[in-house]
Amino acid sequence: MTAAAIEARGLGKDFGSIRALDQLDLDVRAGEFFGLLGPNGAGKTTTVHLLATLLAPTRGTARVVGHDVAQDDLAVRRAIGLVFQDTTLDRDLTVQENLRFAARLWNLPARLAVPRIDALVRQFGLGERRDDPVRTLSGGMRRAADLARGMLHEPRVLFLDEPTAGLDPRARRSLWELIRRLREASGLTVLLTTHYVEEAEPCDRVAVLDHGRLAALGTPADLKRDTGVASLEEVFLARTGHPLAETGAA
Amino acid sequence: MSTRAVYGIVVRELVRFLRQRGRVLASVGRPFVWLIFAGAGYAAVFAGRNEIDYRVYMAPGLLGMVVMFGALLAALSTVTDRDAGVLRMVLVAPIRRGTIALGKALGATVLATTQAVTVSVLLLPLVHLRPSLAGGLLALSAVMLSSLALGALGLVLAASIRSLENFAGVMNFVVFPMLFLSGALYPVRHLGPVLRMVAYVNPLAYGVDLLKHALLGAWTGAGYGGELSPSLDVAALVVFAVLGLLAAAPLLAREGGVTRTAFRQRA
Repeated sequence: MTAAAIEARGLGKDFGSIRALDQLDLDVRAGEFFGLLGPNGAGKTTTVHLLATLLAPTRGTARVVGHDVAQDDLAVRRAIGLVFQDTTLDRDLTVQENLRFAARLWNLPARLAVPRIDALVRQFGLGERRDDPVRTLSGGMRRAADLARGMLHEPRVLFLDEPTAGLDPRARRSLWELIRRLREASGLTVLLTTHYVEEAEPCDRVAVLDHGRLAALGTPADLKRDTGVASLEEVFLARTGHPLAETGAA
Repeated sequence: MSTRAVYGIVVRELVRFLRQRGRVLASVGRPFVWLIFAGAGYAAVFAGRNEIDYRVYMAPGLLGMVVMFGALLAALSTVTDRDAGVLRMVLVAPIRRGTIALGKALGATVLATTQAVTVSVLLLPLVHLRPSLAGGLLALSAVMLSSLALGALGLVLAASIRSLENFAGVMNFVVFPMLFLSGALYPVRHLGPVLRMVAYVNPLAYGVDLLKHALLGAWTGAGYGGELSPSLDVAALVVFAVLGLLAAAPLLAREGGVTRTAFRQRA
């Protein structure tokens, strides 16, 4: 039996009177590539921030690689990598300086950090740009540098929150290629949030979120077969009663 | 407590500061602008008393001013870090909020102290002040302690406000009263009882007082040296620093509100 990488039980979050996440039960297996699919405001980012201990749950519990998010937040943060929707790099510092800064925040001694930074920078195609300020990098390279930052401490679970937002198709493809290689190399558990069905398609399993509630959960193939439709887009429509793409709404 | 994380935060503050040439020049040039313009005017008013050259009297206050601007503006980086998203990288790292607050406050201390030492090297010979070794060491301690206290206070301000525009407003309502009620430009004892009370909750007043003990010892008899006991100054600065750090740590964690803000905008 494989240990659960992520276990959530009745996990929920309110912001004042707004119920951002209702009551989520979720089990992500170690090594799994797991997708959270839903439109903006479905509660995807809230879920990631709860699991990453950046938010305190209003109700329910969650464990990440066995550590309770409320009791043992440092152990959780040590075990995870998180790539946010927007870059968190210091645009005025170089790629190298950003990674050195991150290495110190994650308490990596230089003797570990230096070779790891070298390897990541090379692996992620940033070798020639490592001494350039992040400000001068293209969106795709910046995202690659963000990913390098998230992988620096060799996390067991990687959260990718809408990682391809704002990237052109080529940059998207090379990012997915990087993530595929990372998963193959290390058996990394990846939890991805996206509102693009084509990004959820290659996931091992997909949870469909809508208005803070779990609308469906399963492998893409099972979801389509059980709903009797041909695409995840139609799964979303059938399970929630409205289309995934925001047309005209807010 | 991760000392490596604290070190990393301090190094980043220092590197960022040194890359901003305008900020470096402003921090060193600002006290000389005050020395020339405010100094000239007040010196004329003071002239004839013959007790102290006003420009000599100003020197500790100008160093206090360098510390104040240096430390508070360093705290500003917390606001830009929040805007740019860098604070989230720091918050998702496996370190306590207190470690972040300490790193930021020490970063402000290093920056403000470096600026004050640089300015002293130029300013003190200019006004013919030659402190003794003991005086110099006391002045350095005063600068470091005031930087830490003001850095911690600036962090509380920066962490509790949301945008750069707000920060500028708060700075105007904090910086000028703090400066005028610090004894930097005239002795606190000349103020009325109400303003004197306000001066005693102003951390800069204790820093400037300690600097006067260090630099204006010869004029104490004439009423221009330190007015409080040096140990009271030190104790007050330590209390401000500790309270500031304790208050700043939980405020930094409110950044969890990235999501909260997004939901508020939609509501």
